[in-house]
Amino acid sequence: MSVALPALLTVHRLRKAYGERLLFDIERLDLERGAAYVLTGANGTGKSTLLRMLGGLERCAACQVEFEGQRLPLYPYPKQLRHGIVYVHQHPIMFSTSVGHNIAYGLLARGVPRRAVRALVEEAMMWAGVTHLRDNDPARLSGGEKQRVALARARVVNPRLLLLDEPTANLDGEAREQVIALIPTLVESGASVVLACHDRDLINLPGVRRLKLREGQLEVR
Amino acid sequence: MLDATGNAFALLFSGDAALWHIVWVSIKTSLLGLMLAAPPAVLLGYLIAMHRFPGRRIAVWLAQAALSLPTVLIGLLLYLMLSRRGPMGGLEWLFSQPGIVLGQMIIGLPVLLAFTLAAVQALDARHAETAIAHGAAPLRVMLTVLHEARYGVMAAVISGFGRVISEVGCALMVGGNIEGQTRTITTAIALETSKGEFAQGIALGIVLVTLALLMNGVLVLLQGEAHNPGARL
Repeated sequence: MSVALPALLTVHRLRKAYGERLLFDIERLDLERGAAYVLTGANGTGKSTLLRMLGGLERCAACQVEFEGQRLPLYPYPKQLRHGIVYVHQHPIMFSTSVGHNIAYGLLARGVPRRAVRALVEEAMMWAGVTHLRDNDPARLSGGEKQRVALARARVVNPRLLLLDEPTANLDGEAREQVIALIPTLVESGASVVLACHDRDLINLPGVRRLKLREGQLEVR
Repeated sequence: MLDATGNAFALLFSGDAALWHIVWVSIKTSLLGLMLAAPPAVLLGYLIAMHRFPGRRIAVWLAQAALSLPTVLIGLLLYLMLSRRGPMGGLEWLFSQPGIVLGQMIIGLPVLLAFTLAAVQALDARHAETAIAHGAAPLRVMLTVLHEARYGVMAAVISGFGRVISEVGCALMVGGNIEGQTRTITTAIALETSKGEFAQGIALGIVLVTLALLMNGVLVLLQGEAHNPGARL
């Protein structure tokens, strides 16, 4: 018997249309604390757009959310969501500083003191297995290394909700396995995670709940 | 012409005080004008590039059109504004270095704005999105984006400097080409040439070309670093 976890985020009227073309119209989406979800659906059904809306990167004028019991608009994106939710691109981009500074970015944005930043960054780099890349030029990282640095950059700020857009797309072999191995530990650290993906190994991770976008509607499985 | 060129080099290396004062006035007024123009121009360029708002295309069009405004027209308008009966006459900036600085600022602003706008627009949108997605407030997002577009912004500043230091129309009309006070490299070249005194004109021309080469050399070096960056925290 599964026990319902307390609600982290509830979104009402999640709707996206491009002109006449309706991408999706979701009456209500509930995400629980410390739960992992995979969001599947055919190409073009709006998986990335949905994650981007939750991450404050796409407008959703009519959306209303309840985040940790607080009723908020989704647009303009409020500070509570900005500090509680992190979105990671399918192909993460690195700032042209260093790997260490990239991972520290969200902490510095939150005004965390520099001494604490150093320790947290160190811990996040160890978690992602990128300590040896600390002073590297991020532009020269491989796809898998970039993805792991991006996961460390997202995790280090201890988000309530992590939105990962196809984290294993275009990765193969060891790089893909390393990224897949990090996902369950994200959930164990207490964050809720939503993964948009096609990857069977991610979809079949134990304890992961399934959401499917089909014909503009969200099916919860 | 060979004689004039030889005399020009002799003038340059003799440490002629009048000549180097002209160079100093030019550099000082250009840099001050640019320093005043840069903050609003970079901010406006960033805002126009990053935000969608009604009239945005008109703003882009005006910014680009302003690049081709004749400097002599800006000089004329400023002359009218700063002349004793003009709305800014009380400042008594006509035929003074502050007047030239104001002119240089107005001339430099659209160059900086248009180049910054182009540099920010050319940047991958994921930079700003990543900053937002990791909790950055709008000011930090702007600083991050401008840092990522820094070589384009530097190119904007160098192009702006090139434009203001080489313009003659505005500096002549607003500055008045007063020896020892408002005479700049370009106004001095125009005057000396009209008098048939080519040596000083050529000497100042050499300084102008050297400045242009130096500024652009710095930009090339920085861009070279951008294409081959080292590790930095």
